[in-house]
Amino acid sequence: MNKPVAQTRLLEPGGWRFERRLNTRPIHELLATMLALGVTGLIIGGLVIIVGVSPTEAFGALYDGAFGSLDATLETLVQATPLILTGLAAAIAFRAGVWNIGGEGQFFAGAMGAWWMYDIAGGLPAPLLFVAMFVMGAIAGALWSSIASVLLVRYGTNEILTTVMLNFVILYILSWLLAGPWQSPKTPYYQTERMADKTFLPRFFDDSRLHWGFAIALVAAVVVYLLIRRTSLGYEIRGVGTNKQAASYKGINVGVTIISVMAISGGLAGIAGAGELLGLHHRLQLDIAVGIGFTGIIIALVARLHPAGVIVVAIGFGALLNGSTEIQSSTGIPAALVEVIEGAALFLVLLAAVACRYRLRRPVAHG
Amino acid sequence: MALDQETGTEIAPGEPLLVVDNVTKEFPGVVANDSVSVDIRRAEIHCLLGENGAGKTTLADILYGVYRPDSGTVRLAGRHLDLTSPRDAIDAGVGMVHQHFELVPPMSVIENVVIGTPARQWLDLSEARRRLEEFFSTYDVEIDPDAEVGRLSVGEQQWVEIFKTLYFGVEVLILDEPTAVLTPQGVEQLFRILRQMRDEGLTIILITHKLKEVMDLSDRVTVLRRGKVVGTVNTCDVDRVELARMMIGREVLLQVDKDRSEPGEAVLEVEGIHLESVTGRGSLDGLSLNVAGGEIVGVAGVSGNGQNALFDALVGVRHPHQGRIRLNGVDVTHWAPHKIAALGVASVPGDRIAQGLMMDFSVKDNLVLGNHRGWRFSRAGILDPKKISKFAEESIEGFEIKTPSASHVTRTLSGGNLQKIIMARELSGEPRLLVVHQPTRGLDIAASEYVRRRIVQERDRGAAVLLMSEDLDEIFQLSDRIAVIYNGRIVSVTDPEDATLEEIGMHMAGSSSHAEQSQ
Repeated sequence: MNKPVAQTRLLEPGGWRFERRLNTRPIHELLATMLALGVTGLIIGGLVIIVGVSPTEAFGALYDGAFGSLDATLETLVQATPLILTGLAAAIAFRAGVWNIGGEGQFFAGAMGAWWMYDIAGGLPAPLLFVAMFVMGAIAGALWSSIASVLLVRYGTNEILTTVMLNFVILYILSWLLAGPWQSPKTPYYQTERMADKTFLPRFFDDSRLHWGFAIALVAAVVVYLLIRRTSLGYEIRGVGTNKQAASYKGINVGVTIISVMAISGGLAGIAGAGELLGLHHRLQLDIAVGIGFTGIIIALVARLHPAGVIVVAIGFGALLNGSTEIQSSTGIPAALVEVIEGAALFLVLLAAVACRYRLRRPVAHG
Repeated sequence: MALDQETGTEIAPGEPLLVVDNVTKEFPGVVANDSVSVDIRRAEIHCLLGENGAGKTTLADILYGVYRPDSGTVRLAGRHLDLTSPRDAIDAGVGMVHQHFELVPPMSVIENVVIGTPARQWLDLSEARRRLEEFFSTYDVEIDPDAEVGRLSVGEQQWVEIFKTLYFGVEVLILDEPTAVLTPQGVEQLFRILRQMRDEGLTIILITHKLKEVMDLSDRVTVLRRGKVVGTVNTCDVDRVELARMMIGREVLLQVDKDRSEPGEAVLEVEGIHLESVTGRGSLDGLSLNVAGGEIVGVAGVSGNGQNALFDALVGVRHPHQGRIRLNGVDVTHWAPHKIAALGVASVPGDRIAQGLMMDFSVKDNLVLGNHRGWRFSRAGILDPKKISKFAEESIEGFEIKTPSASHVTRTLSGGNLQKIIMARELSGEPRLLVVHQPTRGLDIAASEYVRRRIVQERDRGAAVLLMSEDLDEIFQLSDRIAVIYNGRIVSVTDPEDATLEEIGMHMAGSSSHAEQSQ
């Protein structure tokens, strides 16, 4: 059984390993996120230089477009309004570990629900009509997301796939409605009639498009925060997102929780859709949202799923959208740069999140 | 033969073979090994004894090339060992069998044994078979070299692990808690063969926290406490009490004081339940069992005989498709977990991290898990932070939970404190039935003692207690009746006063009597 002691190999460089950090302080996470956003700025600056524009000029234009005047700032908030809601929608679902990628479709479902309500009850006094339309928007969003959650709970169907596919389905349904039953007879376009002026959601100022939807979004953020931190349902949502097995052993009905959180998530996206219809577009078209649901996912992740963070990040992303027009007109850089910025920010912030939770250590050789 | 690298002479049995000099290894927040020096002599059985977290496994992992020490040296037969991987360690002559086996279940015994053969080497299966059969006959182990490893019992798998290591000609064999998965008979066989191997010149390092094993098997023992060596002694010079004191640094009661039980009415009645197998959680095959208020019924058994399934059925996570479960006369066979809990059933799961806790929650949030919808901590679905904080403070004090604060994240706490969180939570509602599974697994002596005392207190309060444990000492210490679970059934129920360890062991192994065994 014994054999001569074999030659040991010479010292080889040890491998790097990930080690979980046991204590991560919130201040560190915040600083790391800020650092990531700073690096995003540097990268974008580099890109801008490659294109041949001075970064100060480009960022100056971006800033002017977003916050350069009171009007610009208010318009930034207009852009941020639906993003806050779709950001919250993604954040609360992700808290439960449910990957709702269907914010875009649920947004459309919400707008369609609200329009349907207008269609059948447009004669109601304005405040009542608003409430009815928002409620129907939320219900429609919730029903649309529930298709995915019921399939998930009942048959274990991957919710990422179903929510993504449902985004297409709702758009096709809307296309059909806009080409048929809901199409305005007065125009050749695929769009509904315009809502009556007196049914527009009120605006805060005469010369700005900023409407009540922004206040609703802020209230929603507070409600989502309280829901997560202060209610039994919120506790269960966090529990299911943390450890499904322990949750079910301790009497939490995981299926019910998933269906509840998905309905809330879809409802929030639906409210965003209803708000855009009531406050901004006043008619249903196919282009009332271009990626608002998808941007909400990025916002939720950059905000680390925190409702207050969602507000801040959504305003930041609203500023990018708003500023992109200015950057295009004054420097010639395509507005699509904004998407590059969003992607880079997401990537770097997620990197910072990993860096906060883990560290790389190299086992040190002894002397 | 082990040759001294400087003199070229053979190292005689009893001479230092593996010398650990001043080894320090730090992990974030803990010094796992603090200037550890040990010498392991050739052809001895050397126990590394210590509580959980004492640094035994870290030291073994350093010897096996899993970790590199931050400072200090390891010498094997006079040669400086500089290991970067277990492969290096095996090449140098040091092998290790971990607690969790590293086997490929769908492959045969022989394939598992040769799996570590370096790619540059010719794979000679017939030679491997010859050597394997020689091993098995030398040590009187009956395993078919062509059997699929996944179909072997845990004890047999352990033999495959051991022979896999020896196949590559190591001369130092490290075993990490090898008896945890064995029946008393399996332990006896293991110890007999380890002695035989030692007599043939193999050096064996055995990691354990069980004093009995140290006394039974080892030649010398090194006691570790909080990463430091307390001392190395000849086993024949010490007794259990002495070792226990070295291990925990004070005298311990190795016995939990308890009076005779005064069983009341039946609280739990289980009648012939069948449960189908779910991955990793086992099945039940007509299990019946009663527990009365004021008694502790211990369920002994080798792991994997239906303990997990029984736990799941009692908690309500899985529902039997045949048979009845009654609680105080109420049929709860198909009730949901939260409804069963509401009837006064508390449970301490076997895997506290997977089934008992939200590791990313704060300590106080974990203390209300399961009661987060009840009147104690909420009104109409709104949590009451004041009540939660007050309860958390009381629990932390009452159960001596060591945490920086109630809002501290649970992940950073030690195993003993995690278990105390679960105990505090589960006992707070004064349960009528307490189901505990492996309540002290992985806990150190002080924490184990505490948890056991609490369990006895619950019994004295009048609760019915069902204790499932693979630790027979624990079963004998706490139980008023001992039931043995085998293959999804209770095969015997005895009074601990009348039962012997051997008898329980036979039942655990599936033999209903000695007579049957001798046939």
